[in-house]
Amino acid sequence: MTDRTNTERVRSIDRTTFFEWLDPRTKPARHKFGLIGLGFLAVLPTVLTPLQALTVASAFFMALFAMSWDAVSGYTGQISLGHGVFFTAGGYTSTLLNLEFGLDPLLTIPLGVVVAVLAGLLIGIPTLRLRGPYFALVTLIAPLILLRIFVVYSDILGGATGLPRPDQLFGLQAGDAIVTYYVAFGLFVVVLIVLLAVTRSDAGAVFTAIRQSEDAVSSAGLNPAKFKIFAFTLSAAVGGLAGAAFVHLPVGSPTPSSLLTLFVNVEIIIAAMIGGVGTIVGAAIGGMILVLLREFLSNLAVTVPVLGVSLAEVDTIVFAIVTIGIVYYYPDGLLRSTITLGRRIRAWGASKSNDRSRLSRRQPRETAATSEETVNEGNQKHGGNGNER
Amino acid sequence: MKATKSTEVTGMSVDWNTRKASDDRTLGPDDGELVVSKLTKRFGGLTAVDDLSFAVRQGEILGFIGPNGAGKSTTFNCITGSLTPTSGTVWYDGEDVTDLAPYQMVKRGLARTYQSFRPLRDRPVIANVALSLVPDSLFSLSGLRGETRAKARTVCDLVGLGDDLETMPGQLPHAGLLRLELARALATDPDVLLLDEPFAGLAEQEVESLSALIARLRDERDVTLVVVDHNMRGLLSLVDRVIVIRFGELLADGTPAEIRHDPAVRDAYLGGGV
Repeated sequence: MTDRTNTERVRSIDRTTFFEWLDPRTKPARHKFGLIGLGFLAVLPTVLTPLQALTVASAFFMALFAMSWDAVSGYTGQISLGHGVFFTAGGYTSTLLNLEFGLDPLLTIPLGVVVAVLAGLLIGIPTLRLRGPYFALVTLIAPLILLRIFVVYSDILGGATGLPRPDQLFGLQAGDAIVTYYVAFGLFVVVLIVLLAVTRSDAGAVFTAIRQSEDAVSSAGLNPAKFKIFAFTLSAAVGGLAGAAFVHLPVGSPTPSSLLTLFVNVEIIIAAMIGGVGTIVGAAIGGMILVLLREFLSNLAVTVPVLGVSLAEVDTIVFAIVTIGIVYYYPDGLLRSTITLGRRIRAWGASKSNDRSRLSRRQPRETAATSEETVNEGNQKHGGNGNER
Repeated sequence: MKATKSTEVTGMSVDWNTRKASDDRTLGPDDGELVVSKLTKRFGGLTAVDDLSFAVRQGEILGFIGPNGAGKSTTFNCITGSLTPTSGTVWYDGEDVTDLAPYQMVKRGLARTYQSFRPLRDRPVIANVALSLVPDSLFSLSGLRGETRAKARTVCDLVGLGDDLETMPGQLPHAGLLRLELARALATDPDVLLLDEPFAGLAEQEVESLSALIARLRDERDVTLVVVDHNMRGLLSLVDRVIVIRFGELLADGTPAEIRHDPAVRDAYLGGGV
């Protein structure tokens, strides 16, 4: 009997219409804040100088790179140490097709995505079927091989210094900061929506289950290799798209130093860790923070006492220290920590309230939130997402 | 659905006095729902399973007993595909499934539980169970809600986890984790369920309620069950038939009553515990 009523209750929850689902008022607080954040970014250029707008646009790209990494490494736990290969596959393919054949960027960018996907399959199919560190090792070596190829065929591939700048998307000039901003922002929003849709679906639940135990996934009748390769290919596609769009905008260039080097590969991992691994949103926030913080530090006209050097000269060191601080104090990332903090504040606000009836009405919800907090691990934040959406 | 409790084993009479009962047994694909034929598994110089043959009949509860290290788990791993047998064949539903991967076996209807529990510690009980209901397809839009959630809830209720839907696995007691393991296997809607030492570490009354649950699964859900244990405590009253192995070889095969009085089995257990 209890079983039947439970089932009915669940059904009635799910029988919300699409428009009710779209209504932001039905969303939990963290989703509302997310939407407010996106709205803020949409109107932000009105108060920015052109240079600042370009900086934020490049921050969107760092966010895209970090989200691409998070989709496979954050979710399935298969750590890619050379994700720059896909940014490069997308960016270089698009640049070369544009430079050599004069094709429009609108055509070469999708082709860049195709090549990035092929590169993903090439690396993913042999390595992801195995368990253990093979995947990480191959992804670590892949950028080195690619860079070597660039040097060997430097007459076509530009060597270590990179390729000449290709045609700009929509014929943009360096001065078109606002349009550049909105192109980057549009790409950011589209990728965010796609990755959120995938990771919040069944597939996302399988990805995080793979991170926990491949045996558990197998014993549920699911093929772990298939889901790992899917996550990796999706990630490669997103990375290729971001890389290809990047080189056709004033903020980027088709060079190994901006797409492929060890620094890029490590930077995106740091970005995802700052924001929170395995959340997509966290990687997006982390990527933006990383670029904006670094920019902020390099522009500070402050001299470090004792050492007698200006802060701008040692900005990388300061940045590293700040990053270590964030990762040390918020190992789950800023996103999860902020959500946990928000829940605490809400629970505190509810307990402060003297209105007993209101308190008792809210009680079950707060209890649920607290119990969720205690096991704040992995992708826990989104654990209840399925029914809240 | 009750299996016939006959002294005859898969159509062949067995001389209980010979230690190796497997020598003259040749099983074919249609001798049972799950048939293991001449299975051998060696790890380097160590032979964990040696020319083992047995059949599981549809609708029975089969006890699979042997002392520690007898090769029970290795046999299970070979059947379910997590280990590749050195030689031998596994038939399931009349088909050769020796080389199938674990997830393919589950999709065909053969599920198992692990002796060491493998819950997903990052999500509550119901989401653990719901994962088993996810179709093995990349573009499924069902999501972990609605029908899936309701089905997962039904399975949780069946195994007695109905009040722990939102509990995290880390907060469950040992018996609860076992039930979760069982629920995750049951949610794949198996025809045959292999339970690897489910009674290990359970208190007396938990053993009883688990036995009752296993019997219910067979009677109400038509699940064929193979239950592993390293001793016979409580198991003989539950099972229809028992297979005893030692050193990876078949030692005895018969009804609980026969096994209880089998001298070879008594010998294997040093005359105690049976």
